[in-house]
Amino acid sequence: MELKNEQRLPVSRQKAWEALNDPDVLAACIPGCESLERVDDHNYDATVNTKVGPVKARFTGRVTLENLQPPESYTLSFEGNSGQAGFARGSADVYLDEEPDGGCRVRYDVSATVGGKLAQLGSRLVKGAAEKNASEFFGNFTRHLGGEPEGAAEEAAAGSGQAAQAEGGGDSPRTGYWPWVAGGAVVVLVIIILLL
Amino acid sequence: MATAETGIGKAAKRKEDRRFLTGEGRYTDDIDLPGQVYACFLRSPHAHARINRIDTGPAREAPGVVAVYTGDDLAADGVGGIPCGWQITDVDGQPMKEPAHPALAQGKVRYVGDQVAVVIAESYHQAKDAAERIDVDYDILDAVVSPAEALEEGRPQVHDEAPGNQCYVWELGDGDAVDDAFNRAAHVTRLDLVNQRLAPNAIEPRAAVASYSRGEDQYTLYTTSQNPHVTRLLMSAFVLNLPEHKVRVVAPDVGGGFGSKIFHYAEEAVLTWASRKVGRPIKWTAERVESFMSDAHGRDHVTHAELAMDDSGKFLGMRVNTKANLGAYLSTFAPSVPTILYGTLLAGQYTTPAIHCRVTGVFTNTAPVDAYRGAGRPEATYVVERLVSAAAREMGMDQAEIRRRNFIPRDAFPYQTPVALTYDVGDYDATLTEAMRMADVDGFEARRKEAQARGKYRGIGYSTYIEACGLAPSNIAGALGARAGLFEAGEVRLHPTGKVTVFTGSHSHGQGHETTFAQIVASRLGVPYEDVDVVHGDTDRIAFGMGTYGSRSLAVGGSAIMKALDKVIDKGRKIAAHMLEAAEQDIEYDDGTYRVAGTDKEISMGEIAFSAYVPHNYPLEQLEPGLDENAFYDPTNFTYPAGSHICEVEVDPDTGKVEVVNFTAVDDFGNVINPMIVEGQVHGGLAQGIGQALLEQCIYDPDSGQLVTGTYMDYIMPRADDLPSFRVGTQNTPCTHNPLGVKGCGEAGTIGSPPAVIDAIIDALSPLGVRHLDMPATPVRVWQAIQDAQGSRAA
Amino acid sequence: MHAFEYHRPKTLDEAAAVLARAEDASPVAGGQTLLQTLRQRLAEPSDLVDLRGIPDLYGITREGDSLRIGAMVRHNEVARSREVEQAIPALAGLAGGIGDAQVRNMGTLGGSIANNDPAADYPAGLLGLGATVHTSQRTIPADEFFVDMFETALEPGEIVRSVDFPIPQRASYIKFAQPASRFALVGVMVSQGAGGVRVAVTGAGPAVFRVPDMEQALALDFSADAIRDIRVPADELNDDIHGTPEYRAHLVTVLARRAVEAALNAG
Repeated sequence: MELKNEQRLPVSRQKAWEALNDPDVLAACIPGCESLERVDDHNYDATVNTKVGPVKARFTGRVTLENLQPPESYTLSFEGNSGQAGFARGSADVYLDEEPDGGCRVRYDVSATVGGKLAQLGSRLVKGAAEKNASEFFGNFTRHLGGEPEGAAEEAAAGSGQAAQAEGGGDSPRTGYWPWVAGGAVVVLVIIILLL
Repeated sequence: MATAETGIGKAAKRKEDRRFLTGEGRYTDDIDLPGQVYACFLRSPHAHARINRIDTGPAREAPGVVAVYTGDDLAADGVGGIPCGWQITDVDGQPMKEPAHPALAQGKVRYVGDQVAVVIAESYHQAKDAAERIDVDYDILDAVVSPAEALEEGRPQVHDEAPGNQCYVWELGDGDAVDDAFNRAAHVTRLDLVNQRLAPNAIEPRAAVASYSRGEDQYTLYTTSQNPHVTRLLMSAFVLNLPEHKVRVVAPDVGGGFGSKIFHYAEEAVLTWASRKVGRPIKWTAERVESFMSDAHGRDHVTHAELAMDDSGKFLGMRVNTKANLGAYLSTFAPSVPTILYGTLLAGQYTTPAIHCRVTGVFTNTAPVDAYRGAGRPEATYVVERLVSAAAREMGMDQAEIRRRNFIPRDAFPYQTPVALTYDVGDYDATLTEAMRMADVDGFEARRKEAQARGKYRGIGYSTYIEACGLAPSNIAGALGARAGLFEAGEVRLHPTGKVTVFTGSHSHGQGHETTFAQIVASRLGVPYEDVDVVHGDTDRIAFGMGTYGSRSLAVGGSAIMKALDKVIDKGRKIAAHMLEAAEQDIEYDDGTYRVAGTDKEISMGEIAFSAYVPHNYPLEQLEPGLDENAFYDPTNFTYPAGSHICEVEVDPDTGKVEVVNFTAVDDFGNVINPMIVEGQVHGGLAQGIGQALLEQCIYDPDSGQLVTGTYMDYIMPRADDLPSFRVGTQNTPCTHNPLGVKGCGEAGTIGSPPAVIDAIIDALSPLGVRHLDMPATPVRVWQAIQDAQGSRAA
Repeated sequence: MHAFEYHRPKTLDEAAAVLARAEDASPVAGGQTLLQTLRQRLAEPSDLVDLRGIPDLYGITREGDSLRIGAMVRHNEVARSREVEQAIPALAGLAGGIGDAQVRNMGTLGGSIANNDPAADYPAGLLGLGATVHTSQRTIPADEFFVDMFETALEPGEIVRSVDFPIPQRASYIKFAQPASRFALVGVMVSQGAGGVRVAVTGAGPAVFRVPDMEQALALDFSADAIRDIRVPADELNDDIHGTPEYRAHLVTVLARRAVEAALNAG
């Protein structure tokens, strides 16, 4: 499955990057997220309960980060399993672009595979479900940033979320910090995109 | 007695239908043995992966679990891999690459559905629950599913032993003669064709029940097989190293096979082995999703083909290059299907003097591919008939005329083709003439115009096919790589009361053998049809058998019964001579009665049978008691059913939906024993052939190797409302080399019909500029072909 | 199938109580989607609440300009109902074309719309006829009921009671079946009535949707020609082995035209 999409966020690129990288924020915004835990600088474990119509599956997975270019882009790969339902794996290139109005745009370009029973039974639904979940996540996330989904014009108020508090006051993050938070972001994107 | 209703050539009602229609059929899953436990196979969700570790611990501790086994357990017991029954020799003289096919994966999985472990538990649901708790650590590898891609440089390698994923390159025919023909040609037609992969879809999924009796040291396997003796031989001799006489294989009622139940599958061997390990009978029944993943699939060819003609449309030469997908492992007969059963059929019904065929067998990360109804011959027919129809269109010739101009004439038999076969008999003009009459070809143009007025495009397509059936002369098969003989066994046992039990090594799983064979035996012995029962499918009851496939049951199995009948009648003659106090050479036999020539002294078969078992005054030095004869029959040639199929379709250009509005099949099956059963076989075959042409396709995701068509939500089966009411006829020339003069009818519909359907669609859409279409002609594909043709016209 | 507790309440209140109390309860109506999912072990509800024992959920009644159909009325009952056939023959036709005979004998109106499969027929029926859904708690217009793929406005524990269909002047539903599943590859319901013209499409997108351009054109001129050149954009439509987005977009126009013609012929 190939999936390309983008989402406008009502905050600066820097803030979006940071917010996307706060595991607490993410866990709150990912539909069905049960846990999101750091293993090391480049690996994160996630557990997500997904639901597509009558199908409910609990995925556990690991995300690996590569090509980190904060706050502009990164690549991640992901493998997740749900015993009875099958597995999902793939990679995503994620870009954050600045917008002239001070907001930013997240673009994601995903190549993913769903395998096992999900592939056999649900091929007609996989892409639609992935898009739906991505949209739900960004809806939650945008609301979390204090905006309205679907192109709300207002910038998020400063300090409106934990993301802002985590910013650390400067452009240069602490050593080891960026990969960690970036990991959170990619976990989110891959989970929502790959894990139905 | 050869009564009006049940004699040879009569449409006797099927004996077996009483139990099938009243729910009394006994299928493998109906068999429950005392103490039985249940197996669930854990299958690979990946198309290609290395197995680092399998943790079965949590599964072993799950409720109800009796045992969990992996490939390591099999290896520790010295269990062998699943063998292949046919060896193809490479064009270089080397044997084909034959990588190991472990019954449970060892080190690697190579397709989605590959068996990784088996869980045995008190209930099936417990086994399934526990299977979910097995933790397999996989390194996922890149996969390749298309045979053309698998041969390219740098693609994933399915087996280390087969570099470039090449199993073999096989050639047939005189390449120089073909080159010469093409050099002389006035016209050459070229086509690139895809014969898509099909799932077999027997209504009864595969199933097995295995048990071991410690007291007798005897294994029994009930399994959904088309050939239980072959399964026993392969499993005992090659997989489990068991003495063959200690293994009984029973194939009870089987709900359809279409080839997919010919093969010896890993589940059968694993269950049989494990039944001894756990000391209890074990049952396994595939779920439908397992069937889609793990039954051997059919077809999957990519072909470039060329036909050279002179300016009158006379065929000069044919050149065919095929890449055949064999899947991840070699199934029982897999290597033979795209070679011996394909290349040899490329002459079709025509006098094409020079033919060359090159086939590359390819490993991919997909389920094994093996024989599926028609097996090679539909693929060959599709190539030949698509070429011929395209050639006619290109040269502006009538479709019937180009065929008649090239038919092997009626007086040219026996006819030696340039691709190894010798056709014994046929009359191709006759079937075409009759098919055109039945199809009302003369009225087609009027029907086309009428359809046009309704906004529909109507087209007509032809297929004049031949098949080689009655598999097979053992000497020819052996020379071509078969590792087994292809004879058949039959036994006729008269009981003291004159009732008859017939034992056949053929296996009926929808073909109606219990009826057809009873008709033959009742007619020949002059006993009531109701007094004849046919037994099949049990290695303990039947001497031997090679099973049912390749439209062989009547031609080979029926002939074996005929040989046994001859022996019975000969023995009866000796008994009659004794009882009638006449010389044996003076005894005449006719329709169940022995008579002293020129007298009214006679005795019936029933009296003979009674006397055979009550030999009170027998001259025992010359006459043995009993009346029970066994015979083996090995054919001297293939049989060559042939026929003409004409298809008429209407296409809705707005939606791309194709409706088959008329379908006419006139076949030459040789002598017919039961015309109703023959017609039924043709109907079923046509449904499958039209299903392939319009609907069916197994699709693996090209990148991930996942099976996308894993349920009936996506795999399109033909249904009654997809099909017209068929017009079916026969124009028979009896087979010259078997005692019944029969040829076989089980596969003809599937072999002949696909090109007729596709060419009818191309004919319908030719006003819109459509020149080519691949199967299946689904609505979206047909609509797209119309858009593309219109687009390229506009451009 | 995993183990679950089975309940068969006799009233809606009782059903609601079980749904609220249980850890992860799932209501089951005809079970034509849910039971397959359970058999594939793709859901593990702790409890199943079988709605078949609740008499309030049955019945087909005509009330003035509207037809009320109970949530538990099975497809074949709708297909064969005289009331439906007389009031909204297009709806009877729609129900008669769902799945196969076995599915129609088990599947229900309420189950179908609560599931909101992107290729189901009933969502197009409700949206295309401007129906109103009555639940255990409130009344929801079809325009608000169907939210997204497999998503409706129903809250957890909320149960569909019945659906009111306004009786249109004319209507027709045309489905082009996905050849394997016989769900709608594309299905279009067109109606003209007191509420104006409605065009609803199922199968083509992630969820059922209306086509305002066609509705406006048909409001001015209810004829197939009026929408001949109106295309829905392909980029939002479903893509699978049975149809590209472009094919589905094309079919929406073809089927809408045919539906208009059929509605005119029927009316």
